[in-house]
Parts: sequence; structure tokens; C-alpha cells
Amino acid sequence: MEAIQLDDVDLVHRFGSGPDREAEAELFRRMAPRIRLYGLRHLRNEHAAEDLVQQVLIVTLEALRSGRLREPGKLASFVLGTCRLTVLDLRRGAQRTQRLLGQFGKDLLPQAPCYTPQLDHEKLTHCLQNLKERERTVIVMSFYDEQTGADLAGLLGVSEANVRVIRHRALHRLRECMGVAA
Amino acid sequence: MSCSTPIDAATLADYWLAVLPQSEEEMVDLHLLECDRCGNRLREVIALAQAVRRLASEGSLRMIVSDAFLHRAAADGLRVRQYAPAPGGAVHCTVTAEDDILIGRLAADLTGAKRVDLCICDEHGIQQLRLPDIPIHSGTSSVIYQESITFAKAAPDTIMILRLVTFDETGAERLLGEYTFNHARSLPGPGQLYEPHPE
Repeated sequence: MEAIQLDDVDLVHRFGSGPDREAEAELFRRMAPRIRLYGLRHLRNEHAAEDLVQQVLIVTLEALRSGRLREPGKLASFVLGTCRLTVLDLRRGAQRTQRLLGQFGKDLLPQAPCYTPQLDHEKLTHCLQNLKERERTVIVMSFYDEQTGADLAGLLGVSEANVRVIRHRALHRLRECMGVAA
Repeated sequence: MSCSTPIDAATLADYWLAVLPQSEEEMVDLHLLECDRCGNRLREVIALAQAVRRLASEGSLRMIVSDAFLHRAAADGLRVRQYAPAPGGAVHCTVTAEDDILIGRLAADLTGAKRVDLCICDEHGIQQLRLPDIPIHSGTSSVIYQESITFAKAAPDTIMILRLVTFDETGAERLLGEYTFNHARSLPGPGQLYEPHPE
């Protein structure tokens, strides 16, 4: 099925005129990768992020079908609010997942395709080795251990603000070396 | 796919690392639910973060690390082999196939040192590589150097001398400590020195 060229407002309006499988598919295609990204950031787990996608889309579809989304321009805000509540539920290990999946499982669509960046690992090694010592340490410590600015500030004997500056500069140099636009 | 207010990669990295102020994080959350262009940029940052993480866990980067890093590596099930020669001292060392990370813990008095370089020298003391201005904190008493385990596993029996140097007010170099590592290869492979058997 081809993507519909509509903005969010027009897409929401299409739900107001009765069942529209094409609009539902477009909503899934558009929002699933975005919700998944939110899930990765806030849940730090791919499976949990997939659960989030399913649950948030079910709630959103339900709201659109029943006309509960009164302001069509607020689709992203509605989805964000639903994401937040669902993340809280998922963190609490709520049993709602199974109930919702049982109730609406037939409406679920396969995982939406999304952009997957490919990296040349040899090149990345080379680019990392070409960073200044402090930059390399900050980048690796940040991304390996997700150490806080305070941890790194202690290690480097600089302020947290300085750590942030070093990380930004290092990231810029890395992306430049890897041939990615800053 | 256009975006009138693109979020740069550095901010997205801060977002991924959860170090943005809450109000800014909420703005990024909302923006990413409306904008695929910035979403794709975040995916690039995440891919980079994951690749750096993988490289770090392979132990193949020459770099200065922290105790927190080593604790995390051990907690992740990585095997950390560590040697800690005293300043001016030497240590016999090796690396096995099971090792994941190789560490030299270099004790030194870093009090007052503003800039410290780590010099990697051959057995004659001739510098082969210099890591300038390594991250140090003047309150600590050692530098934790990670040698590339890929390099160490492939290296033959060899002697490596590490030197920590600092600089005085005139810019002249001052030795903080010298550490000798007598590496004995314990893995079979092309890097092993050839030893002819007697007839």
C-alpha cells in the first residue's frame, strides 16, 4: 500500500468520515517508527519499545475512530501523552498489555519499516582513534556506560558544562569523519 | 520530508543520554513525534552510540578509561586483565584468548599536573606513539590505560615501555613515571616468534 500524501490534520479528518483502512494504515506507517523511537529512548529496550508501539497505536486508533481527538492539529500531542502514560504502565509491569492485545490484536499490523543507518566499523575505529584523548574518553564513557556529566567531570577534572562541550565537539568530529552531515 | 526547526545531532545525543533539562526533553519528545527527518538523525546518533559501545566492549581502543568503566565491563561479563607496575618498575604480562580488556594501571603523583602525556615506547625507550593531554584528575593517584587487546593478542614476545610525562612552567618535559611491560605471547598464531627445533 502506498503512503498517502496528507499532513496530520488531514489524516485525522479522514477518520471522521467512517471506517478508512487506508488512513489507518497510513497512521501506522507514519507513527509507528516515531513511537518506537520514543520507546527506545524512554524504555531502553527494543521489545518494550515494540509493545509501546502496539499499545499506543491501539489507543490512538480507538480515539480517532470514536472521534475523541477533538483538535486534529494535536495528533502528536495526543500520541505523546499516550506514550507517557503507557511507559509508566510498562514500567509498572501492568497486565494491561495482554488484555489490550487480546481485545484489539486483530487490528495489529506488522512492524513498520524505518530508516536503519549502517556504519562502517573499521572506519569508526579509525575515526575514534583520531579523536583527541579527552574527546575519545568522553564519547566512549558516555555511550558505553552512559556515565553522567558529573562522573566524567570527576574523571577529567573539568566542569559538567565542559564535559558537554567536549562531547558535542567529539560527536561533530566523529560524524564528520564518518561522512555524516553534522 | 522537511523540518523548519531541525534539532542538531549534539542535542539529540544529549537527549539519548537523558542529560537534557526536562523542559527541553519534552520539546524534543514532541518534535520527534512530528518530524521524521530529526527522527532519522536520532537513529544515526543511536547507531553511532551502539557501535561505539560495541567497539568499547571489544577492548580494541587504545585509551584512558575510568574505574567506573572497568566495573561496568566486569558487570557485563567481560574479562579484564590488569597489570599495575610501580613507577620505575617492570612487570611480566600476557593476554589469553579469554581476555576481553587489557589494562595497565600506572601509579603516579599527578598533584599539580595540568597536562599529562602518555608515551608508548619500544624496548629501547624510543617513542612509538604519544597520547597527548590525556584525561587526568589531579586528585587521583593513577592513570588507567587500556591497551588494544586485538594488538596485544597478535603481538609477539616484546617489551613495551610506558612513560607519563608532564610539563613545567617553561614547557620542559618532566617524567612522572616509567613502566615496563614484558609481554610474553601465550596465544598461537602468526605473530608468534619462530623458534627452530634442534635436529
